[in-house]
Order: sequence, then C-alpha cells, then structure tokens
Amino acid sequence: MTCSDVQRVLPEVIDGDLNGAFGSDFETHLRSCPDCSDLLSDLKMITTEARQLAATEEPSPSVWPQIAAQLRAEGLIRDQNSESAAGGPVLVQLPPRPRWSAWWLAPVAAALVAAGSYVISHKPAPQFANQQAPATPGAAPAQAPTTVPESPAATTASVPAATPEQEAKKSTTPTGLPAPAPEATVEPLPSAEDRQFLSVVSTRAPSMRAAYENQLKAVNADIRETQAYVNRNPGDADARQHLMDAYQQKTLLYQIALDRIQ
Amino acid sequence: MAGLLMAGLRQVRIDYPTVVGLVLASCLASAAFAASKEYRYTVGPHANITVDTQYGAISVKPGSDNLVVVTATFKPENVEVDQQQSGNRIEVASHLLRGTDQQTGQVDYELMIPPDANVNLRSSTGPLSAERLRGDLTLEGAEAVVNVRNVEDGHVHVRTMGGPITLVDVRNGHVEIASISGDVHLKSVTGPLVQVSSGSGRIFYDGDFGSGGDYRFITHSGDIEALVPADVSAGFRAHSMLGRVQHDFPLKPRHSRFSEEVGRSFIGNAGQASSEVVLRSFSGRIRLKQQ
Repeated sequence: MTCSDVQRVLPEVIDGDLNGAFGSDFETHLRSCPDCSDLLSDLKMITTEARQLAATEEPSPSVWPQIAAQLRAEGLIRDQNSESAAGGPVLVQLPPRPRWSAWWLAPVAAALVAAGSYVISHKPAPQFANQQAPATPGAAPAQAPTTVPESPAATTASVPAATPEQEAKKSTTPTGLPAPAPEATVEPLPSAEDRQFLSVVSTRAPSMRAAYENQLKAVNADIRETQAYVNRNPGDADARQHLMDAYQQKTLLYQIALDRIQ
Repeated sequence: MAGLLMAGLRQVRIDYPTVVGLVLASCLASAAFAASKEYRYTVGPHANITVDTQYGAISVKPGSDNLVVVTATFKPENVEVDQQQSGNRIEVASHLLRGTDQQTGQVDYELMIPPDANVNLRSSTGPLSAERLRGDLTLEGAEAVVNVRNVEDGHVHVRTMGGPITLVDVRNGHVEIASISGDVHLKSVTGPLVQVSSGSGRIFYDGDFGSGGDYRFITHSGDIEALVPADVSAGFRAHSMLGRVQHDFPLKPRHSRFSEEVGRSFIGNAGQASSEVVLRSFSGRIRLKQQ
C-alpha cells in the first residue's frame, strides 16, 4: 500500500473507524510511514474534538453546506465521481507533508539578499575613491599577451593599481582617521541563522551535514573577504558587485537546502 | 537419490552448517538486492516531467514521441515511489520510509521520454544526466555530478552546491548554471544567453561563443579559462579583482565605460564582435586562449 492508497481511504477510516477493514497492508504502511501515521492521528484528533463540540454546541444546519462550499472553492474537497460507492465529498490528495517545516529558510534567504543589497547600496562613496578616467576610443590599446606576477604579495600590494598617494589615502578615512584594519583573517562564530540551518540539516539529512557545513564556511569566508575589500575600496563598483555575488552564493546554498532537505 | 546426494556431500567434505550458512547468506543477499519497477505514461507534445529523489542517479534519454517510460531501481522495503500523471504533466518522487538513510534509500531512475518534453530532475547525490533532447531542462542537486549532452532549442538550468557540471553540444537555448563550488565545463555551448556563476569552482569554456549571444562567466575564487578559435567573433570584457588576467588575442580596442587595468582586466573586440563575453572573478585567474 502506498501513501496515495492510504490517503485515498483515510476519510472512510475516519468516518467509520475502519482501520482493520483495510487489512494488514494498511497497518504495515502506517507503521513504516511517519507522514501517514501522523496524518491519521491528526485527523482522528480533529474528529474527536469535533464530536465533542457537536455534543455541546450544535451549530445551525446551514453552517455545514457553507463550510463545504468554502472547502470546494479552496480545492480541498471535491465530489466523488459517479462510479464511487459513497456519494459524499472526498479529501483532495495534498502533496506529502514534511515532518518538520523549513519555512524559515525562505525568508532567511530573502533576508540575505536584502541585507547584501542594503549594505552594498548604502556604502557611502567617499571623495577619494580611485576614480579612473573614462576610456576613450583608441586610448587603451590591447595588450597581447598581458600577464602579471602571481605571487600573493604582488597581488595584494597592487590591487587596485595604486600610486603611493592612493595608498596613503587608503590608510585614512575621509575625516583623516586611520582606516580600520582588514577583518578577513579571523573566522567569526556562525550566526544564529547559520547555527539553526546546520541544526536542521543535522536532523533531516545527517549524511549531508559535513558537505553543507563546508559550503557554508566557504561562502561566509567569501563574503568576509569581499566585504573587507569593499571596506578598503568603498568606491569600487566591481567589488560591490562581487559582494552581491557572494551574498547570492549564500542565498543559493540556503535555497538548495530548502529544496533538498525537507 | 537422497542417499546419492548425501554420499556426494560426504565425498566432497561439505559439512551441514556450512551449507545452511551459505543458503541463509544467499537468501539475505537476495533480500538486499534492489528491485526495478517500470512506469509508463502516454503524453502529448511538450510534456512536463519531474523526477525528484533524495539519493540516487537520474538519467534521461530520448524515446518515442508520445510515451514516457520511467524505470526505478530501489529497495521497496526502504523507499516508495510516488507517481502521478495529470494530463501532460508527470511527477515521480521517491519517498523514504522511516529509518532510511543515504545507503539504503537510493533510487536510480532511467527515463525514456519524447525528445520535446520538458524535464525537471532533482537529486541530492546524483549523478544527473540528460542527452539528445529538445525541451527545457532543469537539473538541481546538492553534490550531484551533472552531464548534459546534445541538447538543442531548449533552456538548460543547472543549480548545484558542488560536483562537476559538464555541458557538451548545447545550442539555441538559454543556459544558466549556478554552483557554489562545482567546476563547470562547457564544450560547444552556444545560445542567446549563457550565464555561469560559481563560488570556488573553475569555469572552462571550449567553443566559439556563437553569434549574437550574451555570455557571462563569474566566479569568486575559481579560475576562468576560455579556449576559442582564431576567427571568433565576440567582444570581450574580463576583470579579476585579485587574480591575474591574460589573453593571446590581438583584440581591437573598443569604447567602454570600463577602464582597462593592465594584468587585471582587458577589454576588446575580436572579429565582428557579434557576441558579448564577460569574464569576471574576484580572486581567480582569467585566461582567454586561442585554440
């Protein structure tokens, strides 16, 4: 018996308390499938509560047709077709219900993008930003081939290509105060959202936890690295775009988790 | 007869506990084998097919024009396959039963579908593969290896966390690939929009960038390498914030609002510049090489 079979006969089970009538397959499936067994116990509880309500305060008979019409309008029930034995409405089969909800991942993912956009778009562009003159036709002849040394020292010292004056400006803020030190060296503790994310992954897909954790560390490191660069070069539009890309990578990770582990 | 058998057993010196043990072991082994189940659906043109499994491979190949055949291989005591058809839409999903994990809950799917069908494939572990199709393809996975070959006229969307992604001979559709750490290998992939983004993965493109397309390859720390023919017709813009950038093309200068920074970026046209190519990395190396 599959979930579909069980859910098809659930209304009859609930109406007539007929668990035994559907044989051992039904019982076996309920024992092995937490979704269906949870659904059955929920429906039984609702039915019991409804019967108690009916015993105390019986609503007007006109209430039930109105509720039925509303449920039909929402697509939650439909009339059985003519070949069915019983003539009453049946529950429409809904998608399998997750044992727990990962609904919070969606707003967190959206919040990441929003936060990234806000941080990037609200960075003040200081006066000393290394503005480069717009290129003019023919002013920048092609370099073929062009290479630069790949040593870390060379890359960090020369990006962006800076004159001593620019370097001096970089080390101070517009008000003349020393610029804050780069913050990309120390790995901070995971945020509350990240801890909750990993906790959910541990519960729901323990075999994938290590992979998700490693990816989360990597995207967080990318965000920190890019943020540090943007802090040092707030007028650099490309760097801000890369920061946005890094946030989008984290959003992608949350989205994949949202889709895969519920 | 039984006496002869017993005599034979005595002659080859097989003791009964060993025989019983072997029989039991073979019974247990056969119980652990996965079973295959086939599902068939009749569909019209441009059917929409979705296969979603937590663990396992999904492979799609073209079959007849109006028939979808799904073969699922799994252990029925651990997994159920839920499937339904609503008109031209088919949904197949694995449903893990209690206590099932990655080892026991694997379901491998093989699909034979009409070539014009649109396909959505999802698996955490993969691999995911599709070939010789003309419809839209969406492939999503966590650590899935992705292979797409010989796809024309359809859009190809791939979204993974890791695992290498390979597209070969994909034409005339939008291609959008997003990965966090997966390497992306594109060979003979052209279309009006080809967009690849990866965090730490490497992007490798081997092809001619077609005509009239918009190509955007973006990484954070992964390298980007494009291997193109000498007669390529494309406008190039490449920039790496911290990595080095190089090309061996005699690019013609072009007017741009972006300035060129020697060793970190280049801008220029090759041929008639019929396609636009943007290569962008934060700390990865970018190379444009001639075939």
